[in-house]
Amino acid sequence: MLPEVLNAMHGAETRFFANASALHTPGHLAMNEIEEVRKTLAKLIGAKPSEIIFTSGASESNNTIVRTFAGHQIETSPLEHHSIIELADKVSGNKLPKLYSYMLANNEIGEILDIQKIVKEARSLTTPKEDSLFEPISEWGKPLVTDRRGAYVHSDLTQVLGKIPINVCELGLDYATFSAHKIGGPIGVGALYVKEGVPFAPLIIGGNQENKRRGGTYNTVGIIGFGAALKKIQCEKSWEQYDTHVRKLRDLLARRILTEIPGSSLNTDIAPGKSLPNILNASFQAAEGESIQLYLDAEGIVVSTGSACASGDIKPSHVLMAKTGDAEVAHSSIRFSFGLDNTEADIEKVMQVLPGIIDRLQKISTIERKTK
Amino acid sequence: MNEGQDWIYTDIVKEHFMHPRNFLFGDESKFKCDAVGVVGNPICGDQMKMYIKVKDDKIEDIRWKTYGCASAIASTSALSELAKGKTLDEALKISAKDIDDYLGNLPKHKFHCSVLGHQALADAIKNYRER
Repeated sequence: MLPEVLNAMHGAETRFFANASALHTPGHLAMNEIEEVRKTLAKLIGAKPSEIIFTSGASESNNTIVRTFAGHQIETSPLEHHSIIELADKVSGNKLPKLYSYMLANNEIGEILDIQKIVKEARSLTTPKEDSLFEPISEWGKPLVTDRRGAYVHSDLTQVLGKIPINVCELGLDYATFSAHKIGGPIGVGALYVKEGVPFAPLIIGGNQENKRRGGTYNTVGIIGFGAALKKIQCEKSWEQYDTHVRKLRDLLARRILTEIPGSSLNTDIAPGKSLPNILNASFQAAEGESIQLYLDAEGIVVSTGSACASGDIKPSHVLMAKTGDAEVAHSSIRFSFGLDNTEADIEKVMQVLPGIIDRLQKISTIERKTK
Repeated sequence: MNEGQDWIYTDIVKEHFMHPRNFLFGDESKFKCDAVGVVGNPICGDQMKMYIKVKDDKIEDIRWKTYGCASAIASTSALSELAKGKTLDEALKISAKDIDDYLGNLPKHKFHCSVLGHQALADAIKNYRER
């Protein structure tokens, strides 16, 4: 977590430890702080403050939108987060209008998607006039209306906030998901952008919070922490630093892996505009991902893997499987995520140990390395 | 999944993973063995190969290769220690549970997919007897 976030949260614990919905002074002060964060996020993504709903994180935000379209046609891709695909599998149906849910960028290989193409397709569809396109749920989630468009578009922007510039209006999105901890904020806080006038059904029905769109006492301290993280990326224009400093480091590591490690390949397309500048996913023939991950961990280098072994699952990463169709490539994959504080010395540190780790695993492997 | 987490394995597993015993490094032909056994599939994420040298019906020496996660490497290493010096019949009795006990227990979700070495060993013994 960022120090600014810790400070803001610590201050909030003592100053605003109150129910933000209450009428007393501490409650009122807490509410003011929450509204400030709402404005900050709205400004950062080109939305109106009233279009922002705070949630417990990306999974809740994603679930809320998919459930809004329960019984409707839902189109998504196998690259999406489980909180979208698993629920969509369960609740989708044949009704119109349809929901498209596509990430702007994938978190595992960093691939950036042409979302405007999907928006264009969604806009070209029409829905026949019917009286009730959505089941009304009493007065909850008042904006449960439709402007009779053919389809709506949701995008999980969890991975891209702060890494590339975002404008939800320019992207043409109806809904978008955000998470605080992915930008150095606290775990357990997220947000949902819901464009004015689009269908919406609340997931949590409780009090009047969030304009009756999300029940439950406000997570004041968490939201204030989220606000501090948002302020930081806004002040520093972090996306510019990602595009220059971080991209340079990522590309350097990619080049060095390819030239110095036999049997390596990239799962991330590092050409400009094709991927997030901070993600590098690579596979190492004949070496298994969890082993690579843990040998690196022993050297103080933290990475993640698409191998099944690391997840307690028997299937390897669904993203890499969808992308490569090759289980071995998925099992042998490692994802390096870069932050703004990484330096060339970090790349050097990785390259001092990684070639040896891969060589050792390849030499005790039952699989023979095919390429030199 | 281990981002920011401590090791999910016991110290013995870690020791066998960091310093595996009896592995066959590089070219297979470097170890003159009497029989080889294989189990698993790289597509599933784990594959083990056991190489045995037999003298007077005993496993005189043993080597292994593994493609797999930390617990696959550690459990194959542990098995090689357990099997060395045993008669073929004794070696056939080594079970997944024995390997798990030796290692101080692997996480449950790891046990079924990565403790497979004893099957490769049984395969090697079968191949030896069928020579």
